[in-house]
Amino acid sequence: MIEFRDVHVSYDAATPVLRGVNLRIEQGEFVAFVGTNGAGKSTTMRLINGLLKPDAGQVTIDGVPTGELATSQLARRVGFLFQNPDNQICCSTVGEELLFGLRALGVDEAEAHKRVARIVARFGFDANADPFLLNRGTRQLLALASIVVLGVPVIVLDEPTTGLDYRECTQVMDLIAQLHADGTTVVMVCHDMEIVADYAHRVVVMHEGRVIDDGPTFDVLRNPATLAQASLLPSQIVQLSLELAARHAELAGSPVAAANDLDQMVHACLAQLGGADG
Amino acid sequence: MIEINNFSFRYRESSEPTVRDINLQIPQGCFCGITGAAGSGKSTLTYAMNGIVPHWYPGDFYGQVKVCGMDTCDVALTDISRVVGSVCQDVESQIINNIVEDEMLYGLENFGFPQSEMERRVDQALADMGIADLRQRTVDSLSGGQLQKLAIASVLALEPQVLVLDEPTAELDPASSRTVFELLARYAREHGTTVVVVEQKIALLSEFSDLLVVCEAGAIRFAGPPREVLQHADELLAIGVNCPRSTTLMNSLARAGVYAGGTCCKVDEALGVLEALLGVVA
Repeated sequence: MIEFRDVHVSYDAATPVLRGVNLRIEQGEFVAFVGTNGAGKSTTMRLINGLLKPDAGQVTIDGVPTGELATSQLARRVGFLFQNPDNQICCSTVGEELLFGLRALGVDEAEAHKRVARIVARFGFDANADPFLLNRGTRQLLALASIVVLGVPVIVLDEPTTGLDYRECTQVMDLIAQLHADGTTVVMVCHDMEIVADYAHRVVVMHEGRVIDDGPTFDVLRNPATLAQASLLPSQIVQLSLELAARHAELAGSPVAAANDLDQMVHACLAQLGGADG
Repeated sequence: MIEINNFSFRYRESSEPTVRDINLQIPQGCFCGITGAAGSGKSTLTYAMNGIVPHWYPGDFYGQVKVCGMDTCDVALTDISRVVGSVCQDVESQIINNIVEDEMLYGLENFGFPQSEMERRVDQALADMGIADLRQRTVDSLSGGQLQKLAIASVLALEPQVLVLDEPTAELDPASSRTVFELLARYAREHGTTVVVVEQKIALLSEFSDLLVVCEAGAIRFAGPPREVLQHADELLAIGVNCPRSTTLMNSLARAGVYAGGTCCKVDEALGVLEALLGVVA
């Protein structure tokens, strides 16, 4: 469990970045942090894995303040995927890259090789490939795999799909969804509202260093006050259903005015129009 | 105006050409969006437009690329950079000063603009990008999105005839991404700036582009107005390009036989069609 209690952070005295953040993330959740650039999302992520310490307030992991945990202890609890995989990858082969974190944590060499072999097979990597000759999407998958191999209970992802094409994006997100289904807590910053709508179960909205909304994904993404305050544009289907609900009182409560995803909207339209479903 | 005729390019270290047989005409004032899967040749195509190919990356260059009447092989990179402003995919590789204002002034000073003109342009570009409040900040205190806005603002300040931007909104929030696209469309409309944007955000490209180009394996697979290109939804998906959800929704309704109109490119269009279908037009 991750808990923020009245957390304040500033990079310099004149620019507070977090202004009293309170939140609690339980084991097994899939939470997306959204908000405008500079709202404090990435700073919040860096507090979870101890890259930053709060100026005031407290961040705890399983009840222990991050300030009291050594980097190696935090690394066993929280895996962190940087926005740019090139800030993370440091070895000359895929296999060495996957072994790097396990060795740093002191995992027995035979056990480490066994775990790496499983991950190489699962991701379909060539263990001898040079990471820096892989394309961007595969480097992102490698960075993710180097966290997965550690078997950490929490993964924190700062914009995991930036710079990826549609196929790469789907591949990375489906893998993250599988990790979540297997029990991993997933905390991610994401600007792509289609991805947030498709994958996250809970959304935290940050604005000017504060949490201004927090709840089940579509409760938050359908809240007009939140959308306006945080300059958020929800996914296109939510935009459509919200507009239909706002502009036509006669549609209030109908499935087309409540649809959250493509399938729901197609079925709702066909039910109303009497077309052939599917 | 950009004219690309029978252009192919093989990087010196590659065994195969990265782009092949490209023919593309982009008129002055056109907003051209380029998309495609990773490795499809999008970035190399933009390198041909801003002269990075062949002036920076050597290799075998075939065909002809003309920008504002200049054959890019016949002139120096400096000459090209006077008319083409570029924003790289990796903005950190582009920013070299430590204070936002210094970064804004860097290109203008290099081109020798008078001080009063520099002031006006810096003020305007920072205001256009919504980052006037960052003017005295150090670059290393900026977020990824703020860095991206700074890179775009420093190029806008040069008021180039052609803007070439490689994933300029990758790190921006949805509202800021939209603002950048609106701003680029305004530059194209009001100043006649030719805008070329490589992007994965198909919804924004579909809404703002006059010309949408889809690359596949180093070649142009589709090029035309977004409405025409998005008609090929299944083929696009097969090459790793997804349509906007509003387009997919209306395609699904068309397949189910309840909608017989054309391809929808934007949310507003889909909304209008849905209102008509549901009989709730005001």
